Amino acid sequence: MLFNSIHFLFFFPIVTILFYLLKHKWRWVLLFIASTYFYSAFYLPYILILYFIIIIDYICGLLIEKSDKKLKLFWLVFSIISNIGLLTYFKYYNFFVDVFIDFVPKLKHISIILPIGLSFHTFQSLSYTIEVYKGNQKAEKHIGYFANYVLFFPQMVAGPIETYARLGNELKTNHKFKYKNIAAGLRLILYGLFVKMCIADNFAPMVNDFYNNPTQFHSAYAWVALFAFSIQIYADFYGYSTIAIGAAKLLGIDLMNNFNQPYFATSFYQFWQRWHISLTTWFRNYVFFPLGGSYVNSLKWVFNILLVFALSGFWHGANYTFIIWGLAHGFFYLTEKQFLKIIPKTIPSTKLQNILGGILTFTLITLIWVLFRAENMDKAITVFKQCFSYTLIAQSHLSLHFETAIMFLIFIVFEILLYQSRFDFYLKNLNIYIRWTVYTTLILCIILFSGIQSFQFIYFQF
Amino acid sequence: MKKLFYKFCLTLLIVGCCLAIANFIYTKYYYKNDIEILDASMLQKIDSLQYICDVLYFAESSNGTVSNNDTCQLSISEMIDELSPLKVGAIDHGAVHARSYLQLIKNIKPNSKVKTLVITLNSRSFGSPWINSKIETNLAQADIIYEPNFPIIKRLKLAFNAYDNKSVEMRNLINEKNWSEQKLNVPSNFPYKTVRQWDNGMANGTYLLPDGKWDSPKITLACHYIKTYAFSIDTNSNPRIKNFDEIVELANEKKLNLVFHLLAENMQYADSLVGKELVHIMNENKQLLIDRYTKKGVTVVNSFNLVNGKDFIDQDWTTEHYNQTGRWILAKNVVKILR
Repeated sequence: MLFNSIHFLFFFPIVTILFYLLKHKWRWVLLFIASTYFYSAFYLPYILILYFIIIIDYICGLLIEKSDKKLKLFWLVFSIISNIGLLTYFKYYNFFVDVFIDFVPKLKHISIILPIGLSFHTFQSLSYTIEVYKGNQKAEKHIGYFANYVLFFPQMVAGPIETYARLGNELKTNHKFKYKNIAAGLRLILYGLFVKMCIADNFAPMVNDFYNNPTQFHSAYAWVALFAFSIQIYADFYGYSTIAIGAAKLLGIDLMNNFNQPYFATSFYQFWQRWHISLTTWFRNYVFFPLGGSYVNSLKWVFNILLVFALSGFWHGANYTFIIWGLAHGFFYLTEKQFLKIIPKTIPSTKLQNILGGILTFTLITLIWVLFRAENMDKAITVFKQCFSYTLIAQSHLSLHFETAIMFLIFIVFEILLYQSRFDFYLKNLNIYIRWTVYTTLILCIILFSGIQSFQFIYFQF
Repeated sequence: MKKLFYKFCLTLLIVGCCLAIANFIYTKYYYKNDIEILDASMLQKIDSLQYICDVLYFAESSNGTVSNNDTCQLSISEMIDELSPLKVGAIDHGAVHARSYLQLIKNIKPNSKVKTLVITLNSRSFGSPWINSKIETNLAQADIIYEPNFPIIKRLKLAFNAYDNKSVEMRNLINEKNWSEQKLNVPSNFPYKTVRQWDNGMANGTYLLPDGKWDSPKITLACHYIKTYAFSIDTNSNPRIKNFDEIVELANEKKLNLVFHLLAENMQYADSLVGKELVHIMNENKQLLIDRYTKKGVTVVNSFNLVNGKDFIDQDWTTEHYNQTGRWILAKNVVKILR
């Protein structure tokens, strides 16, 4: 079920009302049924995959806690293999067939579609067994709560990827009906819908036009399309995450923030502390640190950084383009680190430096997004060539509606105002008339100017 | 609680006002553009033609597709218009089907001049490939525009995905599932029980050239005939049956004469390329449609076997596109019942 669907607009209020009407001890049943229904709306049979993950990791968690050291490791590896195996089969099998088909001609592609959000579920569930193994988390005895941790519908298909320590506890807490939670949740949902439907969905047709036939457009248009995709992907994912956080908030449950104005970052290092924070945290905790983190020699450290970025790219999709996208981020991250080592620490950073750093970072990130958006390397190379061909002869044109431009300006203003804050916190402190003017403007924008063509959330495919 | 109720009412009031203002602005400045973007031009056709025509001819591309070699470039509906004393107008668009017709018919007003609806009954549209075609999402979006609603409500339904918006991958998966699982109504000694088996059997070198190589174009076409026409209509679950049934009810409510025009299919090629089993399946579907809708009081014009293979424009694909000979045959067949 999509957040921006009529289906959800009916489903969610019913769940919220029932949630507060029910006694705490029965709420897990409601959330389990609601989450199952929510996911089944995409494709019913795939709910079994989630149930499989739940059962495996629930049992593994209990066994890890009970077992001695060697057996603990065995059950952890079993959990990892089960989760990654599932992910590999559904997401990477055909990719590996392409890679190895020359060596093993008998390999055949399978006709399958990727279960929505599989990478998110598996990573979230894995974090639980790893934490139990490390002794930081007690194994959950109640399968209902654990099931809801994996299935919790606001964040099940595109994150944020939560730890059991956070979400598990939130799910177990007896949340009382509070007006402030309802108001905060509705504000976040409204803003998330605006960002997704008015910004992302209105930039999408322009980006699609360009990427469907990049050679039809001249360099200037190519750059416009590249920046448009930067906006689209941010608005798409940020919008989704904001709705997810808002939906959970209505139930009294706090989810972590997944974004913190990433395009205001003045370096790649900062960018990765502000973009898809939950995934960055996951890779840092469960890949980078176990590899030795920063406490290794320089060469190993460089290797670790590149490996983490490459894996992060591969997590997004089974394509070379994603791996190279990750590696490109790793390369710039390392270059930036080396560059900063050269500059004496005594020189204070000025505003101008920050602005220039911000522009450079945003431009490079925008260029690298090409690898993320292009279906294959050939297309990515064509797009790069088009950007740097410096021709001004175009067979086609890209256009942005006036209304979209105005909404984009509204979005930028909000992003500046929300620096180091969140939409619900910021609005709460405003005068009632300003607040309701904001609500009315956003509602009117959604009703009148949201994109009418169907664009799924980009991160659903991951 | 009182405060909450007050806020709730205020919210409802604001949303209501927003909707009213938005409907005015949207209808005045943006609605036409959205109709264009979604390629929902049939709405304008029905709005204008219902006041000048006696007969409306609802069709997909079979109506207006002509061959470059045709000396007569008239569409089927224009031919009917020429042959009949009644004024005939076409509500047509490529790839549309009964669900769109149903929404459009809802727009016929009581004061319209229309007395008769002729609706193409395309047997191919009852099959899985058309039901799950990759353009189905676009058609479903256009159907929202065809609904007789306030424009702003249509826009909201579009914005909030209140239509069948399955992904192309999902539609392909459903198609593949249907081809692999649905049992065919074929004699028990026939080696293939499903479309997938039959398609694979056909694909494995059935047609060979004199030099021993596979005749790929012929095999491709034969496989396409199998995937397109080898299905049995389940009257309980087929969405097209549901749509046509609803059209019958709606026409009765609106007191309109209803004619279903069962379009010609290329039976010659189905026979020569694939064989009598496919012809049998196609004929069974034809008979089912004729019987079902005749029983419901609809006049069914049967043009199913009337057009020769060579009179189909697309010789290397399955379509209901006819050259002028074919179109005249169909038009004359329809005119017989309009007199």
